[in-house]
Amino acid sequence: MSYKAKLLAALSLSLALSSGALAQSTLKIGAPQPMTGPDAPFGDKFQKAYSMAVEEINAKGGINGRNIEVIIEDHQAKNPLAATVAEKLITQHQVLVLTGGRASGQAVEIASVAQRLKTPYMVDHPSADIITSKGFEWVFRNNPTGSIYPEAFNKFIIEVPNALPKSAAVVYDNTVFGKTIANSAMTFLKSKNVPIVNDEAYPVNSLDFKPIMTKVKANNPDYVLLVAVSTTDAILMTRHAKEIGITPRAFVGFGGGFGVVDFAKQLGPLAENVFSSAAWSGNPNEPATKEFYDKFKAKYGFLPKEHEVEGYAAIYIIADALKRAKLTGNVDADRETVRQSLLQTDMTTVFGKIKFANWEGPLGDKYTNQNAYSRDHSVLAQWNAKGELLNVWPKSNAETDYVFPDKALVR
Amino acid sequence: MNRAGIFLESKMEIFAQSVVSGVLTGSLYAMIAVGLTIVFGVMRIINLAHGEMVMLGMFGAYWSYTLLGIDPFLSIVIWAPAMFAGGMLIHRFLLKDVIPRGELNTLLYTAGLSLLVANLALFFFTGDYRTLNLPYALMPARPFGIAVPIPLAIALAMAIAITIGLYLLLSRTDVGRAIRATAQNPHSAALMGVNVLRIDMITFGLGTALAAAAGVLLVPSLYLYPTVGEILIVKCFVIVVLGGLGSVPGAIAGGILLGLVESLGAVYVSVAYKDTIGFVLFLLVLLFRPSGLLGVGRS
Repeated sequence: MSYKAKLLAALSLSLALSSGALAQSTLKIGAPQPMTGPDAPFGDKFQKAYSMAVEEINAKGGINGRNIEVIIEDHQAKNPLAATVAEKLITQHQVLVLTGGRASGQAVEIASVAQRLKTPYMVDHPSADIITSKGFEWVFRNNPTGSIYPEAFNKFIIEVPNALPKSAAVVYDNTVFGKTIANSAMTFLKSKNVPIVNDEAYPVNSLDFKPIMTKVKANNPDYVLLVAVSTTDAILMTRHAKEIGITPRAFVGFGGGFGVVDFAKQLGPLAENVFSSAAWSGNPNEPATKEFYDKFKAKYGFLPKEHEVEGYAAIYIIADALKRAKLTGNVDADRETVRQSLLQTDMTTVFGKIKFANWEGPLGDKYTNQNAYSRDHSVLAQWNAKGELLNVWPKSNAETDYVFPDKALVR
Repeated sequence: MNRAGIFLESKMEIFAQSVVSGVLTGSLYAMIAVGLTIVFGVMRIINLAHGEMVMLGMFGAYWSYTLLGIDPFLSIVIWAPAMFAGGMLIHRFLLKDVIPRGELNTLLYTAGLSLLVANLALFFFTGDYRTLNLPYALMPARPFGIAVPIPLAIALAMAIAITIGLYLLLSRTDVGRAIRATAQNPHSAALMGVNVLRIDMITFGLGTALAAAAGVLLVPSLYLYPTVGEILIVKCFVIVVLGGLGSVPGAIAGGILLGLVESLGAVYVSVAYKDTIGFVLFLLVLLFRPSGLLGVGRS
């Protein structure tokens, strides 16, 4: 064979290989997540959850013979950067669908980009109501909204004898997440004529919570409600509250930093008996969910919580939609097909039932493509002495009994 | 005691608690700022990598505690000298040739250095945040019902000791006099026989050591992660400019003032405006004293 012929053969072979690879190309899912910076541990959680789901789905033959792939871009927990990387995922990586986001501030940015560039965004964890109440038809959400977070706590104070607060101090960060949840909790408390003795918004990533807690202590509140999107804030504010010597009947956090294992790991005994209302992580009394917990623990060495369950479920919801969609290879057309397909979703994941619908939230927000079962997805959990966060209310989801009032605080 | 008495007492307690918290936090602010101001005063370098030096000190104390079981406060005797040497090496091999090219160059150069150090730390330590819980420091001391967190109290005592040491160094030793002379006028100092290059190197080492020392003192009260320098450096610049660029007493006064204003502002005005109050104070001081609280104008 002449040199030229060899070259030609080699070229055509490589061409054939690459076009073969093209036909087998993976279906791309984009996920902006904080992989560095203060929120990096959350990015890591979602990465683990996504890759477990992706491995399982691909091992079972993928989507009609094609593998799926999750491309994570780091937004460093910075809102403007979240918009930039979302755009990068859509235009450069040509992803079919977006998920992730991690915090509400970033998800709001991603949702706007997704709506503008006509790419479906299946929100897995960010909870601010506004994300699904702007009428964005390209944005979907499986997890409950922020204003639903306090519902389990609301049930607790109504249903448990003598638990109704005599007064409450509310301290929350001035992010979309913090304000939404605090607003929802305070609206309910006011409707029950509970005096709000402190209404304090702090800037996220504060270095010193002692002044706020000094102010709170002066009012001697019956309940202290804390909202922190950042784990470092949750840790520091709990530590400073206890250092200053506030002794309410209960400290109640609402998801965010109060729902992650590091909270107990870093605070040690100071975390004991702190409540967290929010963190729906599937019903542990469901066999399928329990099985996922065990599988995850065997693989990564720690029990999954809301973030891992949500991330894992998100990939299955997207995979289900992709499976039903007739993809053509034209990215723009396929994104619309996937959106239509998502609208038809009706399934059960480890997180719970899922069906996207348009309905009205507890504060009157008009949701678009928000999981219709969201109001069932709120649970009150409590940290125990072993550093575990166990569900305590409502009873149907409970894993253990609640400790109330918090005796650890009485000195 | 009657009702009004209790009311008054609790008011007094809140005020005292705010002042104590403010001074404790402020002393840490001051510690971070002193290293920055000393480097600026002598070398006219705005060291944007200062926050990363603090971060390295924090990680040093963290690792020596978790791996070797050395008390973080004691580990200062390892990390301050180590970072002193590190700072001198950075000056000798990285900074020395850039300094004569002007302040803008060193500014960009240290900005690059800060990115490099932060990203190396991210690579080696990962982005996880960590906290250090000292068994003896879980609950604060409560003299007169005012909460005084133990790690902050120890940090305050050590910060005072370091400040006195620094004062003695600058005022009583030949090196200290040479540093001050160089700060006042490098050319005249050189004419008087001061080896300005050597003094620059020592000063940069000193600034780095002070940053690391501040980091060590911060660790038991704060959390740490590789890019924590970002949130510290902004405060640090406010303090340094507030106190007067290049002035060590100014940085101390500025740090404590900022700590106090933030604490009292959060309690008596609003937490949401805590940072706003700090910056308004900053603007007011600059408006009426453009060279800072204790700054001395330099032509």
